[in-house]
Amino acid sequence: MRNYEIMFIVNPNATDEEIDKINGQLEAVITGAGGEIQKIEKMGKRRLAYDVDKFREGSYVLFAIGANGDIIKEVERRLRVMDAVIKYLTVRTDEDVRRFEKIRSYRQKRAARRGSGERPASPAQSAEEAMQ
Amino acid sequence: MRSPREKRPPGQKQYYRRKKVCKFCVERIDSINYKDVKLLSQFVPERAKIMPRRISGVCSQHQRRLNDAIKKARNIALLPFATE
Repeated sequence: MRNYEIMFIVNPNATDEEIDKINGQLEAVITGAGGEIQKIEKMGKRRLAYDVDKFREGSYVLFAIGANGDIIKEVERRLRVMDAVIKYLTVRTDEDVRRFEKIRSYRQKRAARRGSGERPASPAQSAEEAMQ
Repeated sequence: MRSPREKRPPGQKQYYRRKKVCKFCVERIDSINYKDVKLLSQFVPERAKIMPRRISGVCSQHQRRLNDAIKKARNIALLPFATE
């Protein structure tokens, strides 16, 4: 199981119910195939940075899910078919999360060592070291 | 640009360029997320090009993450590819 974020933009003229309907459909696809929904967030209407299909704004929706490649494939196919969805983006998040945890634990260990040791490091210095 | 440590020939007037530091290292921003438009837009000036490291002073590791994040944000229309 991998964690993904799917963000998509819905036609600005779509009503709230239509968006809910799309969300419900996707939810059914994901859970039906054994995926897990972690979060559904309606981010509301936003101005687009550039025109997409002649639209200047759109409603953003964000899904955070646990799934595998087959589920993602199916969800993306559905998004492509839906007329109201004008753009979508899928991002894998679990690798990044793991990386942050590693950095964080490293930092904590380091802080503990510094605390018992001699002088504390300046924040900038240890942050740079943590990256290496 | 010369590195600050480089020795200048004697007699030449020396001036100090403030050493640039990586914003992400200093403020300990671990996650450079494509959704964080406020943060990312600091690194895309008017023309919407990605600011080079030599100007922003971001370290190479963070610049790489920043690049990825900006490109993702462009893909989903949070940031522009180019402006007129």
